[in-house]
Amino acid sequence: VGAAGGLLALVRTRGYHVPSERSDRLLALSSWELVVVEHAARRIAARDDESASGPPSADDVDVAGFVDGYLARMAAPRRRDVRRLLAYLEHIAPIRAGNVDRFSRLAPAAQDRVLGTLESSSSDLLREGFAGLKALVFMGYYRDPRTWRVLGYAGPLVGRAAP
Amino acid sequence: VISRGRDLKHDVRLDVDAVVVGTGAGGSVALRDLARAGLRVVALEEGGHFTSADFNQREEQMLPMLFQEMGARATDDMAIRVLQGRGVGGSTLHNTNLCKRTPDAILDAWSKKYAVSGASAGELRPAFERIEADLSVSEIPRELVNPNNDVLRRGAEQLGWKSGPLKHNRVGCQLSGFCELGCTYDAKQNALKIMVPQALAAGARIWSDVSAVAITTRAGRATGVVAVARDGLGDPVAWVDVRARVVVLAASATGSAALALASKLPDPYAQAGRGLRLHPGAVCVGRFDREIDGYRGIPQSWECTEHLSFEEGSDRRVWIVPAFAHPIGAAATMPGFGASHMTAMRAYARIAVLTAMVHDETSGRVDAGEDARPVLRYRLDERDRAQLAKGLAACARLLFAAGALEVVIPAVPPVRLRSSKEVDVLDLGFVRPHGVPISSVHPMGTLRMGDDARSSVVSSTGEHHHVRGLFVADASLFPTSLGVPPQISVYAFAHHLSRHAVERARG
Repeated sequence: VGAAGGLLALVRTRGYHVPSERSDRLLALSSWELVVVEHAARRIAARDDESASGPPSADDVDVAGFVDGYLARMAAPRRRDVRRLLAYLEHIAPIRAGNVDRFSRLAPAAQDRVLGTLESSSSDLLREGFAGLKALVFMGYYRDPRTWRVLGYAGPLVGRAAP
Repeated sequence: VISRGRDLKHDVRLDVDAVVVGTGAGGSVALRDLARAGLRVVALEEGGHFTSADFNQREEQMLPMLFQEMGARATDDMAIRVLQGRGVGGSTLHNTNLCKRTPDAILDAWSKKYAVSGASAGELRPAFERIEADLSVSEIPRELVNPNNDVLRRGAEQLGWKSGPLKHNRVGCQLSGFCELGCTYDAKQNALKIMVPQALAAGARIWSDVSAVAITTRAGRATGVVAVARDGLGDPVAWVDVRARVVVLAASATGSAALALASKLPDPYAQAGRGLRLHPGAVCVGRFDREIDGYRGIPQSWECTEHLSFEEGSDRRVWIVPAFAHPIGAAATMPGFGASHMTAMRAYARIAVLTAMVHDETSGRVDAGEDARPVLRYRLDERDRAQLAKGLAACARLLFAAGALEVVIPAVPPVRLRSSKEVDVLDLGFVRPHGVPISSVHPMGTLRMGDDARSSVVSSTGEHHHVRGLFVADASLFPTSLGVPPQISVYAFAHHLSRHAVERARG
């Protein structure tokens, strides 16, 4: 069982491309986990205006990089919970939503459906897990001053030039 | 002197008269009072030592710095998020400075039903007056009520509901609205600004970045505390061994109880950790046709007490106040995700947010996890669930009465209401743990006081029933929920009871 599990894990965590200059800097996530966070962030923090003058994308503000750094400072048990959720999102949730591919290989609309099944899951644990992932993604997204224009939020007073 | 445990290169042993665990509202007062009595006293603080220069008004940086578990602490079933502070000053660093005394009805009930003596309203009055003077408590002037709070004021006025201004402990407030991220302007008259400097001036010492892991005892007497100094990543760097005749627990209703349990203190009636109350709350969002900009100004200056009674078993146990959040908190709370979520967030400047907090009677418990970390077990009972539902419905009515175009309760799926009539016919069964986001900022009641050792952990003097020299000076003491923000009660009880710790330390 152990060998089979190991083989399965090997197969399921291959085929992810992260440039070495990025993967070498990861603090908490593995390369494949970073890819899952990138895909989840693109959908959770998807823009309602993709024009050039619209808000920045999740990639523009490097949500996944922020999540990696944030998780690195979390206590080990909480970090472990997040990593388990990412594994579930990538490998199990798509199947339960009727897909054969991994989450990160699905089209955006299909990814939205998978995330929607987590958000409204009958499992309290999965719903809370989704809420936690959503909170992390939005922390990574709305930390960036470029996103505040969307909200009409003036931001901190600290560091702002006097009138 | 405040020393940073993270800088330690070797183990430390301290011999003092008294050691205080925690430096929040209760710990800072106990530390000050013991030092002023001429005793050699040291406090251990799990978090860091920060000053106003460190509070940069950035959510993603202040949340991990000022909150337990980086703001991710929750009950063991993840149903209730529990926001608690860490750092020299404890939760007074991030709280919104609400100042209300323990209600007389609560003190009466503690005396009559929970065998608490020496803590009537009259007996506590000097302590309340002393603390309120120390903290410069005053009523928030009407002109400082921001538009989000004014929504509550006008809604209550329209409905004819009981409401009024709150008191606070701020002086020189710049109305930046970032209170929950620490005050950049030193306007908060809190433990960090007032009590800690007074304690240090009286000769106390504080070690930050040091987590207590065990209370030591011998022959039924407290003998000190064993603690671990940690670096910025939480990794241990040294042992801190404190020998003292008196130990004062003030690490919050979660931390103190977990430490007591981890220390395996005598507890013949299995009372330690029991009786956890949380003041669970949930929010309701109203969308208006005008700018509210709720993040600016004093976050909470007005309250609605129409549905709040302090009688035990009452079906009116809801307190309503505004609860606006900065963008990260707001985005996490707003229902949904993706492009539609962003569209909803575009209304950020035009929303008002109210919260319904339950004066709870559910009894949870704290257990000790690894390294004396608290594990919170709490299952909202049906009567409190009904109170929360009633409170959210009341929030929706208040928002509509103040002119909201739409009210959203961030459930899964979200509940969107267009008028008060829709509130009248709303099935509130969805308001339950895991059904709506529930949060708590007021854990209480896990090392309860009382003169009957069969139903309490410490006596009415705050001293442990079975360990001489071990005192409690935080919200763990409270036999029930307060129904009001606890900071003034914590400060005042710590001051009221500190003379007993002083007497014991003097031998």
